[in-house]
Amino acid sequence: MSTSLWRQHILPFTFLLGMLAVAALAGDFVLHRLNLVWVGRYLGIPGTLLIIGSLIYSLRKRKLITSGSPRSLLTFHEFTAWLGSLMVLIHSGIHFNAILPWLATIAMGVNVISGLVGKLLLDRSRRHVQGERERYQLRGLSRPEVEQAVFWDAVSLDAMTQWRKVHIPIFIAFAVLAMGHIVSVFLFWGWV
Amino acid sequence: MSRILKFLLAANLIVLAVLVFVYPHLMVGPGKLIPGHKQLESDCFACHAPLLGADSGRCLTCHKPEEIGRLTTAGLPIAKPLTAVAFHQKLITQECVACHSDHAGVRRFRQQGHFNHALLEPAMREACQSCHKAPNDALHQQITDNCSQCHSQEKWTPATFDHDQHFKLDRDHNARCVTCHTGNDYSRYTCYGCHEHTLANIRREHIEEGIRKFDNCVECHRSGNKHDIRGGEGGDGRGKKEHDD
Repeated sequence: MSTSLWRQHILPFTFLLGMLAVAALAGDFVLHRLNLVWVGRYLGIPGTLLIIGSLIYSLRKRKLITSGSPRSLLTFHEFTAWLGSLMVLIHSGIHFNAILPWLATIAMGVNVISGLVGKLLLDRSRRHVQGERERYQLRGLSRPEVEQAVFWDAVSLDAMTQWRKVHIPIFIAFAVLAMGHIVSVFLFWGWV
Repeated sequence: MSRILKFLLAANLIVLAVLVFVYPHLMVGPGKLIPGHKQLESDCFACHAPLLGADSGRCLTCHKPEEIGRLTTAGLPIAKPLTAVAFHQKLITQECVACHSDHAGVRRFRQQGHFNHALLEPAMREACQSCHKAPNDALHQQITDNCSQCHSQEKWTPATFDHDQHFKLDRDHNARCVTCHTGNDYSRYTCYGCHEHTLANIRREHIEEGIRKFDNCVECHRSGNKHDIRGGEGGDGRGKKEHDD
């Protein structure tokens, strides 16, 4: 695999994902140090609202709404989904109490990864591999030689494409599991 | 999304939904229940009212207030009570969840072993020694009541009282509390409880110095050092003299 795909695309993606994990751990640590653990308990609410807000882009993409710039909405989608996921991760607080909310958290994590792969890596990587192919062809390499040269990049691209495909199904799973968690909280917790 | 994927997704979610109803304590319960309530772990509504949370009224169906701390829910005497004295009978309200939380995940957010004394009846609130044992140190062994003059009901330590701020107990005044504080009232004191100070000799010494107001000794004397005199009526380290012109 050429180092450029790794350095230019996969590394920034890993950094952004790593930042999510680091920010979640740091947030949890700070809340514990400041004796504000109870705040984490309520962070699930704004986190969920942000994730719901991020779906405006999905509605726009499927033309269920017609106003708004898709480009701006995509940026909004990426930002609010990342921030909302961060809040939900801090809310989960790395305490294992029940299976359902943890399945929801895992589904959310997979959803974030697939989303980042799809929007941060896939298009750019596709262009990158295509550019590499054209570059090798211009050098006069035969088709099998070109495919040999871009083999690992092509494998990475295929893997990313597969990740992209799970974005919607895993979001549905996340939504249903999160809904189950929210309903159970409303049902058993004293809100009034 | 392919039909197979949709089917797999739906099948998985249905299985999870079934598991929620079969194993609610594992799927949605916020952590393990306390050992005494283990048999209730799959019966959420034994304690929870829908949409209202844990309901103290449901606790009382098993835990009768007059028996708490004395008898088990089966009516048998408690062999090893958690508290020395049964006090639930002296609570102003039977609001169980104000102090108790049964799930491990909820208990994590609560300060364990913290009792809100404001929930006690006023008379019981002042009777500290009906529940608490006085510390076994030299100071507390002399004191039998009025804990609240030094300690708050929020925390035992730090005590809110520092004797040195009022009067330093040096080697000449290493006396028993009751020598100065009579009647278990530590807000008052007398300096005439020992053989050294009598009203007659104190009056004579102060009148000789022209000091007429000498009823509150610690206003000027904060220790046994006769040179350590501060404040007083004149604010100059001396009492106000009769003819101070």
